[in-house]
Amino acid sequence: MAPQALLSHLHRADGSATYSEKGYTIIGSVNGPVEVQRRDELPEEAAIDVNVRPAAGIGSPNERHLETLIQATLRHVILVQNFPRTLIQVTLQVRSLPEEQSTGNGSAILKSSLMLLPHLLNTALLALLSASIPLSTTLTSTVVMILSSGKLLCSPSSADLVRAQSIQSVHVFAFSAQKSLLLAESQGEFDIDEWDEACELAEDICCKETGVAVDEMDVDGKPENLEGFLRDVVREKVEKEQMWKTAP
Amino acid sequence: MPREAEISLNEREFIQQALRDHIRLDGRPFDTFRALELTFGNEYGVADVQLGNTRVVARISAEVTAPFPDRKFDGIFSISTEFSPMASPSFEVGRPSDAEVILSRILEKAIRRSGALDTESLCIIAGLKCFSLHADLHVIDHDGGLIDASCIAVIAALQHFRRPDVAVEGESATIFSIREREPIPLSILHHPICVTFSLYESGEIMLVDANLAEEQVREGEVVITMNKHGEVCQVAKYGGASVDALVILNCINVALEKVKGITKFIQSKLEEDAKKRDAGGLMAELSAENAR
Repeated sequence: MAPQALLSHLHRADGSATYSEKGYTIIGSVNGPVEVQRRDELPEEAAIDVNVRPAAGIGSPNERHLETLIQATLRHVILVQNFPRTLIQVTLQVRSLPEEQSTGNGSAILKSSLMLLPHLLNTALLALLSASIPLSTTLTSTVVMILSSGKLLCSPSSADLVRAQSIQSVHVFAFSAQKSLLLAESQGEFDIDEWDEACELAEDICCKETGVAVDEMDVDGKPENLEGFLRDVVREKVEKEQMWKTAP
Repeated sequence: MPREAEISLNEREFIQQALRDHIRLDGRPFDTFRALELTFGNEYGVADVQLGNTRVVARISAEVTAPFPDRKFDGIFSISTEFSPMASPSFEVGRPSDAEVILSRILEKAIRRSGALDTESLCIIAGLKCFSLHADLHVIDHDGGLIDASCIAVIAALQHFRRPDVAVEGESATIFSIREREPIPLSILHHPICVTFSLYESGEIMLVDANLAEEQVREGEVVITMNKHGEVCQVAKYGGASVDALVILNCINVALEKVKGITKFIQSKLEEDAKKRDAGGLMAELSAENAR
């Protein structure tokens, strides 16, 4: 199932997005640039405050870890030098999880927070776009799993996970629009060759050259990859914003 | 964190003058709610309430724990409310604002202490195992009326939630997952709903469901919680303005009408959702519930 996005639907936040893919639904909001507290203030760049809120219960070290990873990634995407001594607040609220994760069945690796990370990153970027925060590049992220049979699974749905017997390792990758690797997080047992393979597959999904013009992709209905999806979302947003110009 | 932008003197004066002329900013009559929207998630126990621009998501989750030693026959039920910067940049994480404390206190009184949920039915083995229910409240968008919206969300989510089925044999209990056995609805004794009245002109003007701008101008508020049978669960009053006893009685009459309407609305939405889930018409056969 192709991911779905809804932009700028909250009236209070500067930018907001709801992103859903494969049973995950995440609501993201961005406020910024806003006044920063003295202790967080950075003299030469904007401070980024990421807040991940789980669907049930209060935040645990897992969420704090995710926040650190997302903050480090976004710092390189947002043009922080443009807004010294301000704060950009990113709030990511997990709205729903696939059944396996919410009920707590399944193996330990499935319950790991890594499965959530790519969705959080994608949501954060959409919310930043909606808030019109200047970015140096866009970002797409996905998860790749290596099964013990050596098979690679890319952003598996919950049905895939039920069928897959044993998972050896989970890898999360994020790529910029220029295809440079922004984030690589792995968990489990793997060697460098397997990692290379996973990385290549992820790059394909995130930012494969489709070789067709953007207009032709509309005919297919579904974008081929995440980069294409992102472009579609942004095109829709711009069209909406420019409606006053084009209306008869 | 930036402070909540206070309403300007001009705006304040404008709203007050309009209220004196019996006009509200959005053109509603004084005793009407904004448009109420209620949707349920794919999972059980998730309710998404939209009251005008205010949006609140409540989620119920259950786990098995040991009961409190002094309450061996009772399960555990707790409600947690935490505001995030998503609703307003002035909400700081980990430092509850006054509004947040008041909200959690009122929900505690309205839902938990009024005995809306039969906690005894959550007991599995007395003194050893019980269900611990937890309601998480996420404020997604804030445009006033948080107490009313949150109460509706929690009550709707509780009615929508299904707990896993259990089988007890002596000292051991088996918990069945959703795939194994059809989960069971909670036993809810009554459905309390909060209605907030905002007071202006030292109690002469009363508004139902004020939005954020109106909330910032008000002199006091009266929160009344009651169920559709007219049983008042709690009355709370905040702010400086004094309120006459007769005015409170009047409020209760108005609240009863609102509560009846809202309870009916929740029920119709629940039935709609049940119909959607019951695609093949097999739900009645799957259920192990006994008629009470």
